[in-house]
Amino acid sequence: MRASSLLSEGLAVLRKEITSELRSRVALNAIVLFAVTTLVTVAYQIGPYRIHEDDRPHLLSALLWIILFFAAMSGLSRVFVKEEDARTGKTLRLAARPGAVLLGKLLFNLMLTLALETVVVPLYCGLMGLAVRSPGGLALLLLGGGVALSASATIVAAIIARASGSGTLFTILSVPLILPLLVILIQGTGAAVTADGLSPVLPALRAIVSLAGVTLVASFYLFPVVWND
Amino acid sequence: MSATTVEFEGIGKRFGSRAVLAQVSGVLRPGAVLVVSGPNGSGKSTLLNILAGVLRPSRGAVTYREGGGTVPRRLWFERIGVAAPDMAVYDELTAHENLAFLARLRGLRSTREQAAELLDSLGLPAREHDRAVGTYSSGMRQRVKIAQAVIHAPRVLMLDEPSSNLDAAGHEAVAALVREYRGRAAVVVATNDPREAAWGDARIELAL
Amino acid sequence: MTERKDWWKWLLGLWILAVVWAAFFYAPTARGFKGESARIVFFHVPQAWVAVLAFCVNLVASLRYLRRHDALDDARAAAAARLGLVFCILATVTGSLFAHVMWNSFWNWDPREISIAILLLVYAAYFALREAIADEERRASLSAAYAVLAFVTMPFLVFVVPRIYFSLHPDTIINTKGSMDMESRMFQVLMASLMGFTGLFVWLYTLDVRAARIALARRRRQED
Repeated sequence: MRASSLLSEGLAVLRKEITSELRSRVALNAIVLFAVTTLVTVAYQIGPYRIHEDDRPHLLSALLWIILFFAAMSGLSRVFVKEEDARTGKTLRLAARPGAVLLGKLLFNLMLTLALETVVVPLYCGLMGLAVRSPGGLALLLLGGGVALSASATIVAAIIARASGSGTLFTILSVPLILPLLVILIQGTGAAVTADGLSPVLPALRAIVSLAGVTLVASFYLFPVVWND
Repeated sequence: MSATTVEFEGIGKRFGSRAVLAQVSGVLRPGAVLVVSGPNGSGKSTLLNILAGVLRPSRGAVTYREGGGTVPRRLWFERIGVAAPDMAVYDELTAHENLAFLARLRGLRSTREQAAELLDSLGLPAREHDRAVGTYSSGMRQRVKIAQAVIHAPRVLMLDEPSSNLDAAGHEAVAALVREYRGRAAVVVATNDPREAAWGDARIELAL
Repeated sequence: MTERKDWWKWLLGLWILAVVWAAFFYAPTARGFKGESARIVFFHVPQAWVAVLAFCVNLVASLRYLRRHDALDDARAAAAARLGLVFCILATVTGSLFAHVMWNSFWNWDPREISIAILLLVYAAYFALREAIADEERRASLSAAYAVLAFVTMPFLVFVVPRIYFSLHPDTIINTKGSMDMESRMFQVLMASLMGFTGLFVWLYTLDVRAARIALARRRRQED
C-alpha cells in the first residue's frame, strides 16, 4: 500500500543521521578523540622498535584491532541511544518501518566505522612502521570487518538503548559477540602483514563474511521486537 | 478506504510490582472523540502507548479493525498519528526538515507548501520554519509536534495533553484540528484540562 | 505433585551418590595424568555439558517467547540461564583446577577454555541486561533477542576460530590427550555422571519453572 521502498526509507534515515551528526558531531568526536588518544599513546610508548621482529605481525595486528574496537565502541551506540535520550525514539517508532530504521542506522554506523578505519589504519602503519605485504588483503579484511563490527554494534546498541542506554552495558553485551570476530580479524591481519597476495587472508575473510551475514540476518529478524517492545 | 476502529479489552499493565492499569476497556471510532482523564500517575499515557502499539500490555488485547478484517500490530503505525509529551522532534533539524523526514519515512511526497500551510494553521510563523527546532520555545515546539502527528492525515489520532505549553491561540488551533478530525478519524485525547475534556463525546476516567 | 511422581528424584539422589562412589573407587587411575587428578573429569565434563544444554534450553524458550510473548517462556529462559551460569562457573573452576594440577597454570587459552569463558561472559551479559530493565515485557523481549544473537555467534567461536587459530598456533595442550580412547570403566562412569547431571538439571529447572508459574498465577489472581 505504500509507494516507497524499504531502501528509500532506509536512505532517508541515513540522510537524517548524517545531517544531524554533522550538526552535533557527538559520535564523530567521541570516536576520533578515542582513536587519536590511543593511537598516540601506543605509538609513543611502543613505537616501531619495541617489539621483536618475529612478534611484530601478530602483536601489531592485535593492537590495531584493539584500538579500532574500543574507538568504535565509544561512538557506535549513539545511533540508538540518542533517540531515546532526545525522546525522538517514539516519534521515529510511530513513523517508520523497523526495517528501514535498522537499515539507515546500520549504514550510518558502517560509514563511521569505515571512516575510522581509513583514518586510523594508514596512521597506525606509518607510526608503527608496519609494512603490509598484502594491502589488498588488508583492505578486504577492513571492509568485511567493518561490516561485521557495525552490524553487531548496531543491534546491541538497539538493545541497550531500550534498556538503560549505558555505555558500560553496551560494552558488556558487545564483547562476547564481537570477540570471535576480533580473534579472526587479528589472525587475518597478521597473515596480510606477513604474506603476499590474497590467499593467506581468505580463510579469515570467509569466516568474517559468514559471521557478518549471520549477524545481519539475525538483526533484521530480531529488530522489530527490540525496537517496538 | 474504510474507517479504522480500535477496540481494547481488559487492558492491564504492571511496571515491576506496581499495577498502573487494570481492566480498562473501550473503543475508538470516527465521529466520537474519546477523552481519557485521571490524576497524574493513573496511566493515561501508558494506555495511549498501549493503544499505539509501542508498549505491550501485561493483560488484555488491542484490536485494530478495518472493514471486516483486523490490522496486524506491525502495521498499526501506518494508521496512527500521535502527539505526546514523551515524543520529541529532532532538535538539530528545522521544522521543515523534521516534517519532510517523517513524511518521507511514511512514503509520502509532502511538498514544502503543504508543510508550511500545516505549520501556519497551527500558528507557527513562516519566518521560524527554517530554524533548528532546538532554538524554539516550548510552545513552538509543541506546534511542530502536533504538525508531525497529522502530516500524513492519520485514520487514528492520539493526543496526549495536546495544548500543554500552548497559549490561547494555540489551544484554539488544536481544538479546530480535533473538530476537523472528529468526523473522519478515530480520535482519543488524554488530558486533565477541562477545556480539552470538553471535546469528548465519550470518556474514560482512570483512577489511581 | 503427588508422592508417586517423586520417585525419580529419590532415584536420582541414589544415582548421583553411586556416580560419586564410582568416580573414586570403580574407575581406575588414568594413565598419563598426575596422581588421581583425572577423576575430576567425571564431574567437570558433565558440568560443561549442562552449561551448554542450558544455553540451548534458553535459546528454545527465548525463541518461543519472541513468537508468543508468554511470560512463562521468559521465566523458562531465565531459569535455564540461571542454572547455566552456575554450571558454567563450576565447569570453569573445575577445569582450571585440573589445568593447574596438570600443567601448573590455571589458564592456558585452549580453544575449549575460550569457549567456556565466552559462554560465561554471555551469561553474565544476559543477566546484566535483565538487571538493567524494569519493565517486565520489555525485559523479556530484549533478553530473548540477546540470547538469540549470542547463540548464532557462538558456533563461530567454537568451530571456526580454532581452525584459523591453529594454522598459526599448532601446539595445544589438552588436544594431545586424545579423549576418545578412554578406558571402558572410566567411560561408563562418565556416561553415568552425564545422565545424573542432566537429571539434576531437569529437576532444578522444572522446580524453578514451577515456582515461576505459581508466582504468575498468584499475581493474575490478585489483579482480577
